[in-house]
This record gives sequence, structure tokens and C-alpha cells, in this order.
Amino acid sequence: MAKKLVAVVKLQLPAGKATPAPPVGPALGQYGINIMAFVKEYNEKSASQAGSIVPVEISIYSDRSFVARLLTPPAADLLRKAAGIQKGASTPKRTTVGTITRAQLRQIAQQKLPDMNANDIEAAERIIAGTARSMGIKIVE
Amino acid sequence: MQTTSWLEIAVEVDPESVETVAEILARYGYNGGVVIEQGWIAGDEGPEFQYDPHRPVWLRTYLPLDAQVEETRQQIEHALWHVHQIRPLGPIQTRTLAEEDWANAWKQFYSVMRVGKRTIIVPSWLEYQPQPDDIVLLLDPGMAFGTGLHPTTRLCLNLLEQLVQPGQDVLDLGTGSGILAIAAAKLGAGRVLALDNDPIAVRVAQENIDRNRVGNTVTVAEGSLGVGQAMGHWLSGDFGPPEPDPALHEHGLQATFDLIAANLIARVLITLAPDLATALKPGGLLISSGIIDVKEEEVAAAFTAAGLQPIARHVEGEWVALVHRRI
Repeated sequence: MAKKLVAVVKLQLPAGKATPAPPVGPALGQYGINIMAFVKEYNEKSASQAGSIVPVEISIYSDRSFVARLLTPPAADLLRKAAGIQKGASTPKRTTVGTITRAQLRQIAQQKLPDMNANDIEAAERIIAGTARSMGIKIVE
Repeated sequence: MQTTSWLEIAVEVDPESVETVAEILARYGYNGGVVIEQGWIAGDEGPEFQYDPHRPVWLRTYLPLDAQVEETRQQIEHALWHVHQIRPLGPIQTRTLAEEDWANAWKQFYSVMRVGKRTIIVPSWLEYQPQPDDIVLLLDPGMAFGTGLHPTTRLCLNLLEQLVQPGQDVLDLGTGSGILAIAAAKLGAGRVLALDNDPIAVRVAQENIDRNRVGNTVTVAEGSLGVGQAMGHWLSGDFGPPEPDPALHEHGLQATFDLIAANLIARVLITLAPDLATALKPGGLLISSGIIDVKEEEVAAAFTAAGLQPIARHVEGEWVALVHRRI
């Protein structure tokens, strides 16, 4: 059936732990899509990645049907794992909370490239390096 | 947790800062959740789209309005101030939201819906007293498929009401929720084959067929016709090489039908035109829908070339449904 796209919403949620509460309810409720069907689908698909943040892209159509597609984990999540830290710095310009190597940066950029607004690996690396800087993670050679 | 309302924190950022700001919001937001609303550009047909890298992106997170909310809001503001030193960032916008029963609130968008002259679509949480002539379809809006709200589905339901004769063999190609197959069965079709090349559709359709108690009449299976077998998902556009595959016979059904309902999209109908014609008995009818008006001529030409004769044409908005007869 020909379906007209009316909205695209991305949500970052803890894998396997989506509920109809915010942010899911307010983000999707306005479109009249079956929230419980989304929650069930997301939790089923992301259960294997428990403990990670797994973003999901929801395309909503004019007949109030929708498609949910899991995306790669956010760069911040990958950076935290690579640097071996729990959370980013609250004053990133002053504090360094961890370090990653150039090779680790490139690896994260490569993993994220399919879901990023970047045309090439260099641009992807730049964006992720910016995220690292704002989290207080230093990139070392 | 008992909350009565929520504070929404929203901030506009450029696409390159999305990850950074989302990370901060996730640190403080309820359940680590963040909403990302990015501009997009729709494809010309079907579900494709591209993100628009030139438009700003809105990020949102939610805090329960409790004793700590002001402190948390200040922490977010503080963290975003640091980001603002290196990246452009809009001001933080807040608004309060009342707690809602989000698990059920979406149901308010649905009601008992009359389609065509006799067909009524009833969601499972509503009650309906059918009139003597009514064809009642019990359908819940699900994940991958709607519930007859779309004009292309309405056009098909209207035509099925007019065209299904008792005892006919009917094919519903691209069945989705199963709505057209179920309608055909309730309108008196003898046997209905419902095909979809999406396994989720097949599962959802089977549930709806069981709910409507038409399992004796309707067989649902994953598959397509002829070249459609090599097409991947209907809407993916990945048509692959045309390799005819007699998959229909695997389901033990005659591959010839009195009536076919094909609620697809124009380019799929064009690709499948010869296979649709072959699958009809001589004199059999094809209902084709999902045709956007600008593609109508192309579809009609493909059907004529495949030996089908135009019988009727119905329009709703920009959508066209055609009826053809196999000569």
C-alpha cells in the first residue's frame, strides 16, 4: 500500500526498558500510533543489548502505521565504553575524565558512519571528536 | 513512581551537536530518554526519506515534576552552557505536561469507521451493534499497518463491496493487515489467498484473520507473484533480476483467480502487470490501488500491454484505483 510519511522521530532509550511514560508517550502520542505496540517491539528488538542506550528511528505514516528501526548506539555511549568511564564531565573544558586513542576514535566513527550526517570518515571523526571534547574525553596519539 | 506532571526540556541544536547534547540530556532525563526531531525530505513515492542536514534539530527530554526538578534543570542548563562555549545552541525551552495515560491515549484517535456502503471497521476496545447488512471487520491498529484510514484502502474496500461474487477465488496481493482479504471473505468469496512478502505482515494478517473467524476461507502466506518473488520488500525498491518463481503452487492453490486486489504502489504494479494478468482467469477482474495520480497513465499503459482491459476508475484525493478485466 502506498503510504505517505508524516513524521520521523528518533528516540534514545535504554535497551529493553522503554515504557509508555516520557519520552515515548509525549513524543509518539500526538501521532495516534499504537504506543504499546511500539514499546513491545522496541524492547523485543533491543533486549540483547541490555545496558546500552539504543536509539530507534520511528517513521510514521498517514494511516497511523509506523516502522521502528534500531540504530547504532550513540557516540557518547561508545566513547564512554572506549574510555572506560561511567559518565562525561560536567565541566568538560576544565576537566579530563578519560582518554581514547586516534585508532579508537576511527573505530567509533566507522561504526557510527551509517547513521550519521557525515559524508566521509573524516567528517564523522570530527563530529565524534567534538562529542568527546564536550564530555571531557581527551584524544591521545 | 507517582508523578502528576512532567517538565519538558527542549533545545534547538545544529546537526553536528546532536550527539553531544543528547548525551547530556540522557544523563538527567527520565529513564535516560531523549527525543530527537530532525528535518527530513520525503521521497517521491512510498516511505523513503532523507534527513535534511541544513535544518536545525530539536532535542527533548522529560523530568518528573518533583522536589528535585529545579536542581536537575539547573544542572542541565549548566552542562549546556559549557557546550554553548564550543557549539551554537538555542536557548533552553521548558513547558509542563500533565501526566496522561499514554498507554491508552492513542486510542482516542480511533472510532468505529464506516467504509463504503456496508463495511464497518471496529477496533477491539469499542462495541458496535451491527445492522443487518453490515460487513463488520474487527481490526486493531498495529505496528506495520493501518486500519483502512488510507484512501487507497478505502477505494479497494468500496470496489470489493461492488465486485466480490459469492464463491469466487480471490487473491489479495500485498495484504498487510489482511483487511482486504478479510473483507473479501465476509463478502462471500469462496477461497481467498492473502500474500505479502513481509513476514511481519503475514503474522499480523493471520492474527486479524483469526480474530475475524475467516480462517476457513482465507489462507495467508509469505510470497508474491512471478517477478515479485525477487523483489524483496514491496516498498524497498530493490527489485532484483526478474526470475519467475511458481511459489503459488507451493501453497496448493490454483494460481488463477476470479478477482485480484492489489493495493500496492505504482511502480510495483507496473513491474507485476504481466504476472497479475497471468494470475487472472479469462474474464477475471483486477482491482489495483495505491496509484498516485501522476503515475496513473504509466500503470494503465502497463496493464493494457499485459492484455488487461480498463473497466472502471475511482479517485480519492490524489489516489487512483483502477479496475481491469482480463480479455
